[in-house]
Amino acid sequence: MFTPKERLHNTLTGKAADRPPVICPGGMMNAAVVGVMNKTGNTLPDAHYTAEAMSNLAYDVHENTGFENFGIPFCMTVEAEALGSSIDFGSLKCEPKIQEERFASVKDVTFMPDGSIEKTSRGEAVIQTVYTLSRKHPDIPAIGSLTGPISTAASIVDPMIFLKQLRREREKSHQVIDYVVNQLISYAKQLADNGAAVISIADPTATGEILGPKMFEEYAVLYLNKIADAVHEYGIPVIIHICGDVRMIKPQLHQLHGNVLSVDAMVDLKRLKDDLENKRTMGNISTYLLEFGNAEKVYQRTKNLLTKNIDVLAPACGLSTSTPLENITAFTTAVKEI
Amino acid sequence: MTKTKHELYALLSDAVVGMDEDTAAALSREAIGAGYDAYETIEQGLAKGMERAGKLFDESEYFVPELLMCADALNVGLDILRPHITTEERSEKHRIVIGVIEGDTHDIGKNLVKLMLSAAGFDVIDLGRDVPPSVFVERAIKEEAKIIMISSLMTTTMDGMEETVQLLHEKGVREKFKVAVGGGPVSSGFAEKIGADGYASNANQAVKLANELAQSK
Ligand code: B12
Repeated sequence: MFTPKERLHNTLTGKAADRPPVICPGGMMNAAVVGVMNKTGNTLPDAHYTAEAMSNLAYDVHENTGFENFGIPFCMTVEAEALGSSIDFGSLKCEPKIQEERFASVKDVTFMPDGSIEKTSRGEAVIQTVYTLSRKHPDIPAIGSLTGPISTAASIVDPMIFLKQLRREREKSHQVIDYVVNQLISYAKQLADNGAAVISIADPTATGEILGPKMFEEYAVLYLNKIADAVHEYGIPVIIHICGDVRMIKPQLHQLHGNVLSVDAMVDLKRLKDDLENKRTMGNISTYLLEFGNAEKVYQRTKNLLTKNIDVLAPACGLSTSTPLENITAFTTAVKEI
Repeated sequence: MTKTKHELYALLSDAVVGMDEDTAAALSREAIGAGYDAYETIEQGLAKGMERAGKLFDESEYFVPELLMCADALNVGLDILRPHITTEERSEKHRIVIGVIEGDTHDIGKNLVKLMLSAAGFDVIDLGRDVPPSVFVERAIKEEAKIIMISSLMTTTMDGMEETVQLLHEKGVREKFKVAVGGGPVSSGFAEKIGADGYASNANQAVKLANELAQSK
């Protein structure tokens, strides 16, 4: 009998497990849906601020959805806030967002000292939550989620200017992203040291559709790998999630160093696995189906996904907060039945 | 040797597609110097180039960074040519207010739609992102806009679009404006359901749609 932590760890490192794990890593892809919060009373936005509230909600999510992990935090703004942007923390049903990016140009970015993310109160709360939950529930993997390097950079510099400057100001762009990456690596180390079983990186602004294959390779692949390599040094596996249609960037996906590649619902994971010479895959139950379908449909679709040789079952991307709880449990149940 | 105006328009269009701000500026000055009509130079040179760039974007030859750089080359040319447009040509423009609905931060798509609309000659007022329905309505009235364009990338926030339409009804000004919606989870069925006047799936189609809505009564 495998514990959820052993099952996930084995799966991510190529060792045997009894069945694929079913998880929701947190951050962009988190399952703090309204249905869970209304049931337990531990609610957002409060759970964005303190370790206590964050731990309670992360536990509730795990307990009520059936996902075999703790996914922390519940937003993509911890990093950007630490690096200077102002945040609107949203509401029970609407996720936090960047109110204003701190800088108008990559040329204006002021570099904060290394280790700045973990020094903020929310950075600390995430680390403390990982620590508490991994101590209290040693069999359940606590996943520390990072906002990827391009998304974080485009959350501290105005995204429209930033995207242009990837071409126009290459040297300075690289410098800024490298700075962001060093901050993320330092933060990831704290998460690892405090009990994170896995680090997950999602980088929605770095899709093939937004950047195109060349920019994706020059920036996304380079910096995602820099983080993945560093986290591997700390001895823990890495999930990399790439949003959107990946047809155009398959050769680039091949170069990613994550232990598993998570993709969106439009991607056929069976084909992707064939195309990428057996790279481990994660996914990819449609988040629209989870929101608008019914439990029966979700269950059937999950059974179909289970024939596709997917290593880790998970939502295809960021869940809507109004996703019905019974649809999520239909998904996790269908996997656990194997 | 001076270029014929058609040669110059073609080169200007190429400069936009080639993301070449310096050439776009030089050619725009050349057009003025040669006495070519500024409005026509914009239409057949700069805007044509942006239209081609939009097509390349649709065909996945260009991506967001490239399209934004084309828009910069376009804007450099516009800054030079616009002061030379006669007032009578200027009055033809239709005004659009555009924004991303409340709660939603995704603004890359809205920004692309905005720049294609501007390139096509619309007078676009950008309300930014996270815009409450009431602000769409207030600003549309204040700016005497013809079209309200709303973007939403999240199912969680798209209901704000319907609220905006209802608010227009409540204020008794629904028939003063055309409402167009777009973004990932939005569809033409949804647009119809909430009582909007149109939907488009990408920035090029958005321009077509805006043209249609501007013409319609
Ligand atoms: C990039 C991205 C981000 C970036 C956004 C950067 C920015 N400044 O815009 C960042 C990292 C900040 C981000 C954050 C989040 N994201 Co996000 N993100 C994306 C992603 C991958 C791409 C969107 C994009 O820019 N596409 C490129 C542009 C060019 O395309 P487009 O927006 O579709 O626009 C085109 C057309 O739609 C059309 N169009 C657009 N608007 C309009 C308007 C009109 C009037 C018309 C006619 C046409 C039109 O023309 C455009 C150009 O051709 C999408 C998934 C996807 N593949 O769409 C998820 C997605 C939108 N995000 C999602 C989520 C969940 C989030 C978060 C909530 C994550 C979290 N848990 O915190 C936060 C949002 C917080 C908030 N409150 O807003 C979900 C939304 C799920 C839902 N509820 O419906 C999506 C759908 C991912 C998924 N699940 O599949 N995200």
